[in-house]
Amino acid sequence: MALLEEDHAFEIADAVLAASEADETEVTINCIEDRFVRFGHEGPTQSADRERYDLAVRVRFRDGEGFREAKASSGALDEASVLGALGRAEILARVASPDAGAAPLGGPVEVEGSAPSRPTQDHSFKEKAEWIEAALRRCEGESLHGGGLARTTVASRSIVNSAGRRVHGATSRAEFALTCADAGADAETVGGSASSVSVRCFVDQVDVEGVIEDAVTSAVRARGPADVEAGPMDVLLEPQAVAALMTFTSGMGFGARGFHEGSSFLTGRVGERIFSEHLSVADDPTHPDLRGLRFDGEGTPRGCHPLVSSGTVHGPVTDAFWAKQLGLANTGHSPQQPSTSGPSAGHLVVAEGDLSREELLDRLGDGLLVRQLHYVNVVEPRELVLTGMTRGGVFRVRGGQVGGAIGNLRFTQSLVDALGAIDGVGDRAVRVGSLMGGELVAPALLIRGFQFTSKARS
Amino acid sequence: MVTPPVKSSPSHSMEALARSAVDEAMARGADAADARIVRCAEERLVIQNGALKESDAPEDFGIAVRVFKDGAVGFAAAPGPYSAMQNAVSGLVRRCLASARDLAPLRRVPVRLAGRADACGTFATPVEEDPFMVPLEEKLDLLMRASERLGGRREVVSRLAGMSLRREEQWMATSEGGSTHQVLVRSGGRIEAIARARGVVERRSYPNALEGDFRSGGFEVVRALDLEGNAERVRDEAIALCHADICPPGQRTLILGGGQLALQIHESVGHPTELDRVLGEERDLAGGSFAAQTDPGSLEYGAACVSFVADSTVPGGLDTRGWDDDGVASGRFDIVRDGKLCAFQSGRISAGRAGAETSRSVSRAEGWYAPPIDRITNVSLAPGHGSLDDLLAETEDGAILADTIKTWSIDQERRNFQFTCEVGWEIRGGRRSRLLRLPTYQGSTLDFWKRCDRVAGPEEWRLWGVVNCGKGNPMQVAEMSHGAAPARFRGVQFVDVGSSVS
Repeated sequence: MALLEEDHAFEIADAVLAASEADETEVTINCIEDRFVRFGHEGPTQSADRERYDLAVRVRFRDGEGFREAKASSGALDEASVLGALGRAEILARVASPDAGAAPLGGPVEVEGSAPSRPTQDHSFKEKAEWIEAALRRCEGESLHGGGLARTTVASRSIVNSAGRRVHGATSRAEFALTCADAGADAETVGGSASSVSVRCFVDQVDVEGVIEDAVTSAVRARGPADVEAGPMDVLLEPQAVAALMTFTSGMGFGARGFHEGSSFLTGRVGERIFSEHLSVADDPTHPDLRGLRFDGEGTPRGCHPLVSSGTVHGPVTDAFWAKQLGLANTGHSPQQPSTSGPSAGHLVVAEGDLSREELLDRLGDGLLVRQLHYVNVVEPRELVLTGMTRGGVFRVRGGQVGGAIGNLRFTQSLVDALGAIDGVGDRAVRVGSLMGGELVAPALLIRGFQFTSKARS
Repeated sequence: MVTPPVKSSPSHSMEALARSAVDEAMARGADAADARIVRCAEERLVIQNGALKESDAPEDFGIAVRVFKDGAVGFAAAPGPYSAMQNAVSGLVRRCLASARDLAPLRRVPVRLAGRADACGTFATPVEEDPFMVPLEEKLDLLMRASERLGGRREVVSRLAGMSLRREEQWMATSEGGSTHQVLVRSGGRIEAIARARGVVERRSYPNALEGDFRSGGFEVVRALDLEGNAERVRDEAIALCHADICPPGQRTLILGGGQLALQIHESVGHPTELDRVLGEERDLAGGSFAAQTDPGSLEYGAACVSFVADSTVPGGLDTRGWDDDGVASGRFDIVRDGKLCAFQSGRISAGRAGAETSRSVSRAEGWYAPPIDRITNVSLAPGHGSLDDLLAETEDGAILADTIKTWSIDQERRNFQFTCEVGWEIRGGRRSRLLRLPTYQGSTLDFWKRCDRVAGPEEWRLWGVVNCGKGNPMQVAEMSHGAAPARFRGVQFVDVGSSVS
């Protein structure tokens, strides 16, 4: 089964609009085709060849200055299921309390369309098996246990509303990830381990050989970690580590809800330089390494939106509701509505700097090279105090030279302070994700005085 | 009510469809096969700042076929409706057999299934009040009354009251003759106030943070939460936290409330005792476990007063069901007994790989579209004795009572953790005294549980529902419960977060 073509999706949505008794109706159809193989050191452990639909109907009845609003959805696209979703949404909305702050649905817009990548869509299990076999053999050659994921996904989203908005787009994604570690239950604490990943928009861009080489050589190098006491240290964070931190700025930092509630670092600071002048960040679904949809969850067009320019922060990202509430422009950062979560910047791009890896290490001098951060979470939102663990190889750097590995450390660090202490930015940004969700494009960052607060093994 | 949440499809036709998928897989050469049809309906209602901001009624329906062929596993899935699934079955069987054949040469060790999946029967969550038959107006009124009581103070910048109701119906057939039908219902809700004062923003939640608290059961679960009756307290505590001192760093006695203990159990007992983690098969994303395959029977996991029981039959548990998604019957077993590790949580595949004869029935999938993996089941800390007041009365001045998850982080081998609670109180004179914000404690799993010197009794014990457990790659979300009564830990390290917070 293929993703729905634009015309087919619009036809289904139009049937819902025609049947709706609501004053305003919005139909969102998400389609996904997904193939993955997960593997451990004994071979593939899980796989799936699957497709999934989600058709959501959002209806609104006018009530005074606002709307009574609700949504219902169906995982099946047959007429009975779709109209059943409409019926449930209407029943919910009729008894809903009115939301006086709600803005009317947006009207017609022009957005740049996009189609799924056929080679990515057609990438087979046999081809994924070749990636995995190459990784396992290389790991076995170094007596490492390998595990990871080979995955290709194509997805589409169509939004049609009763105000005349009709948008459609598709995205493609391909991933090969490898984690390798010495055998044993506590391999990541006492042995060598490392992971590497290539996440690209198209399957032919995935650098399988590069992932294998990076993960295996780093894991071998990470063997025999030395014991180091926690404390403040200068660090060079590789892009995977940067992603684990920056992903928390998407909603909590740059979103309008946190800004309004006072829990965001933006509150009372818009227009101020609160980060290092080395840092510039944008939300950019047009970036060639992201190629996201050109419209948000309400179908509002979006493009490259600056968030931080040379350390100076701009205003929050908004959606229709929060733009009206705060008297700001709608920046096109809505989740699928109705939602309490508020807008977020889901296509972060941290601007590249001008330092090569060797130059970054040289500027670091003495400190730590951190490849990955794990299980990062928020202690306090206003200063974005985060805690988490190092993972996948932490190396001493002395005089700009990468030395031996050290044991994993926990950090407890204000991200606002850390981004204010950037002293160098790498010249190559890559697409990376984090355990807590979300993907962004980031280079390596050199940060002074990063606060490590305990050891993995005390 | 919305409409009947799950359209009635004759059970026999679903069973027949699942059976036909299995039969076709076997006829086409599978060594073993199973098929699951899952139909899910939910209702989610959230009132934010007095207006209904989320009102969602999703339904999901589909079929998954899993085959075992030449030591490898293939899986394919497609959505409903029934007619679409009927049409899809042959294609799904071909696709998952083809993927298993493609992947089999990569298996260094063939997949072996422990035990058998030949159970037949039905299971239904006991429900006193069908949550989908309660009038919507009544549900919204319940939430609106709670929401109103959260307000009325200018410091409150956000107030939220919500509930979520879910019904899952599953039909499963296995090539070993198994045929099961289950109807699982769970309900729950929450309230939350966010206050701002003196430049400080603090959140207080009830009955627990994140999604709230849930139990298997009907609308009686939501009524029992008494959201309205707790709203003013929650609001006032959120405001008071803005004026409270930050919990000072240092080493001292910690008493954890049940809600926070549920998280502590989940992260430092539930995950490290999942057998697939122990075997290294979760290494690529969530990580491994400090526990080794040979540790049961010898590893001192905690103090003698610490026992953990896994139980997928406990009334009210979110993973209380008849069978897991391998088709293996639910059960109860000790994970830690009197401080010593006894057993890991396993599914048929991980148990087979470990050489065990039977699984522990913890193999579960997020939905019809996901392959089952080892998941934490209902894992609970066995109660000790006495009330929380007794525990406080017998605890020295300067100790901290902390509760309700604010943030959590644990390392990839489930050893080093650091958790922050929403609220803490200093203990003075055997009772709660000064309110403290951001109580943040850090420890190492085995050392921490060995520092436990007392667990409160059955009168304080209750289940806490977790509905956001992420695991697997691609990540799947599962639900389970953890039972706990407040417990005391000696010499716990509190972290200095005050220097980072203005």
